Order: sequence, then C-alpha cells, then structure tokens
Amino acid sequence: MDIEFEGVQVERGGRRVLDIPSLRLRGTRTTAILGPNGSGKTTLLRLLAGLERARAGHVSYGGASHPSVAYVFQEEVFLRQSVRENLELGLRLRGVNNGEMRRRVEDAAARLGIPHLLDRRADRLSGGEGRRVNLARALCLKAPLVLLDEPLEGLDERTYSRLLDDLPQLLKAFDATTLLVTHNRHEALRVAQDLVVLIDGRIRVAGDKSAVMMNPGKADVAEVLGYSVLAANGHRVAVPPGALRPGPGRLEFSMIVDDLLDLVERRELVGRVGETRVHVAIPGTGETPQRGDRSLIHTERYYDLA
Amino acid sequence: MPEVFAAIALRTILVSGAATALAVLVGVPVGYVIARRSFRGRTMLLGLINTGMGMPPVVVGLVVWLLLVRSGPFGDLELIYTQRAMVLAQFLIATPIVIGFTTASFQALSPRLPDLLIVLGAGRIRRLWLLAREAKLGLLVAIMAAFGAIVSEVGASMIVGGNLERSTRVLTTAIVTETSRGEVERALALGLVLLVMSFVVNLSLTIVQQRSRT
Repeated sequence: MDIEFEGVQVERGGRRVLDIPSLRLRGTRTTAILGPNGSGKTTLLRLLAGLERARAGHVSYGGASHPSVAYVFQEEVFLRQSVRENLELGLRLRGVNNGEMRRRVEDAAARLGIPHLLDRRADRLSGGEGRRVNLARALCLKAPLVLLDEPLEGLDERTYSRLLDDLPQLLKAFDATTLLVTHNRHEALRVAQDLVVLIDGRIRVAGDKSAVMMNPGKADVAEVLGYSVLAANGHRVAVPPGALRPGPGRLEFSMIVDDLLDLVERRELVGRVGETRVHVAIPGTGETPQRGDRSLIHTERYYDLA
Repeated sequence: MPEVFAAIALRTILVSGAATALAVLVGVPVGYVIARRSFRGRTMLLGLINTGMGMPPVVVGLVVWLLLVRSGPFGDLELIYTQRAMVLAQFLIATPIVIGFTTASFQALSPRLPDLLIVLGAGRIRRLWLLAREAKLGLLVAIMAAFGAIVSEVGASMIVGGNLERSTRVLTTAIVTETSRGEVERALALGLVLLVMSFVVNLSLTIVQQRSRT
C-alpha cells in the first residue's frame, strides 16, 4: 500500500507546521523520517494516524479508505492493567475473537521476548521492558500501516543495541508500510530502505536510502543525515562520521585542536574546521598535538554540496 | 421514634444520592471535556468552577428558592418545598465539586492516553469509560466529596425543602429542629445516625476505590 500526499498542509496555532506539496511513501517498505527537533516529524505521524487534521490537501492510501494503524508512541503509554490486558485492548476494540486474540498476543510476546511479563502490571515496567511491550502491542494488531515514533529513545546502550538488532526482523514480521521517526542516522540506515528528510515542516529530500545518502545536496540536509559539513577549496562538502584521518590525503583540511580525548581503547582529537566541530581518531602512539595547535587532517570519502 | 429516624435517614439518602448521581452524570463528561480540550475562556471557566466548589449552600438555596417560589419564574412547576427542589439545589452544589475533581483527575493522566485509545480504535463513549477507569481514584474522591458536601449541608435543604415533617425533613434539618426544641438527646442521636450513614457510604466507595490497587 503506497501512501501519497497531495498539497497537505497542517497548521497549529496559526503556524504552518507541515507543508507537503507531494510525496509518495512506498508500500511494505520502511521509511525513516529524519529531521531536527520541531521539524514536524511527529506531526506527520499523527496526521497519518488520524490524530491531526490537515488544513488543506489529502493523503491517499493506495485507493483504500483510511487503513488501520499501529502507532508506537515516543512515550510509553499503558493502562493501569496487566501487560496482557494492554496488548489485548486494541484487538478487543477491533472485534478480534478470543482464540485469535490469545494467539496473536502470545506470538507478539514471544517475538519480543516478553512472555514472562504478560501478567505483570504494565505501568510498572522498566524502560527496556516498556519499549518491548510498546512494540508488541503494535505488532499484534497486524495493521497495514505502522508508525514508530523514536521507538528506541531513552534506552541504556545494551538494551538499545539489542532492540536495534531485532527491529529489522520485527518489521519484516509486520509486513506493513512502516514509518520510523528518528534523529539517529545509524538507526535509520540499519532499519529503513527509504529516507525522508524533514526540515521546518518541508520535505527536503526523499527516496531510496543510498540515493539520498550519496546526494545530500544542501548543507542543512547533510547535517540532518549525520554528515560533518566542511569548507574545502571554496566549496562545501559532506564528510561521513569517522571518515576524517590525521595527516595529508585526498581532501585536506586545517583543524584547530581543542582537546585530546583518551577513550582507553583509542584516542581522539576534538577540534574545529572553520565553525564546524570535528572528531579525528589518532594512533595510540607517536607525536600528540597540543591544544591550540593547527593540525592537518584529510578524508578519502566525501560528497560535494550545492 | 426509631421509625421516624429511619424515615428521615432514608429520605436523606434518597435526596442526596439522587443529587450526587445527577451531578456525576453531568459533571464527569463536563470535567472530561474541560480536561481534554483547549478553548477560549477555559481558565475563566475553571476559576468559576473552583469557586463553585466552595459556594455556600445557603446562597444556592436562596437562588433556587427565588426561582421556584410560587411567584418566581418557575413557580408554575410547583416544585418549591418538595424533595425534587431539594435534589435540584443539592445537584447545583455538588456539580462544581464533581467537575473540579474530575478535571484534575483526567488532567493527571498521560496526555498520550486518549491518543492511544483513538489509534487503537476506541469510540468516544468507550474512550470516556476507559479513561474514567484509569482516573478511578480521583473520580471516587469526586463522588465522596460531592456526597459529603450535600448530605451535611443544611441551609439549602431548609430553604427550598421547608423542613416539612413528613416530606422534606432530612437528618441535618431534623437536627436543627430538635435542637431548637431543646431535644438535645434526639438531636445528638440524629447526628450519630448521619455520621454512621456517611461512614458506611464512604467506606463502600473507598473499598471500590482501593480495589485492585496491587
């Protein structure tokens, strides 16, 4: 089920928070929506969930009427009941019969590794458990449209990386058109096939993830995509994270050293190229630049910006 | 004497119970809307409601009396000095209390909860019911506070009910009557009945409130 936006405008308090003249999200794929805080990412999800009304324009869902939606909110929201009752609620409201309901809840719980939580109170779970229950509730709805609003936000590193490992498999199980709101480049690239960059309520780029990543175009879009935007020879380039190296190379920059970080298993220089803050990994031994030094760095990988 | 006490106690429960039930029927949905929606004049409205929560019953009684008295605008309804007039006055006292507590309890819930219920497919009535269950603790406080306020008030019941021995005398107005007659023992006994009755009602509501708080 493709989703098409035509001339969609959403206003809040007289301010236009979303303005999408045209956009197509491809069906049964995962699209990551990236953008800075307040750019309209959540509003976009709320619009698709029917929680927000467009002032103008319309959204079509492959000829069907508004499809049923599974929405994973940024916050964990549960009724003061058991996890099982929370998972069952949506199914009850949709008239799923008891046998089918039990099957779906147990299947979703198994996939998310939470069968042992089913009889616990949902409003007394830890952050990681709550996130899993949140995802399980969405999964058991078997909705054709799945909306994930920063579903892994605020987790400790271990739980985060485990859930991130599981998420692509889970989304395959959803077999739905999925939108993932995130401001984490790594998360978007791991999980999504398509990317959309939203800045100030406007779609700046949209498409297949490699096409978007290899052609960020403008500096602000490149920043949202997690690139460092640096000036070189009179024009600007987007440098992927971790691509800067000390010494001479293909494209060189002069960096002013601000600090040396000792991260035990590696060392990193923090400095500035023009106004942009950069991190450069340096060898564990050898000469160490001092604070205030000018140091030559380079990158082999970069994309030219407009 | 016990039969007279029982009749008065029963009348008290019926009048204040009916007024509380009506106040809940009106006050809970109104409180829900005020908690959920933002509209012009909302803060002003809440200010008025909060003032209404502490309104002197005798003033409410006076206004209702002016409206219902034979020569008043609704005099033709012949409600003055009836139990229905007392229910009306007590309803007006109880409703702001129910609205005030209800608004606060719904506002204390996660603002995402109604969104979740919409997305899961709950209709308007179902949503109100599910959210009311979530706000149960506060809603039962609303009911107890409203019932407590009207079962113990004397001014409004006296003015609009007229304290007629066989039809509109309730426990509080009976206490006033017996005291003024110098029947202090009877007044004290009636006071005890009122206290025990209040305790039984509130204990029942508290049991409902605290159930499943595991």
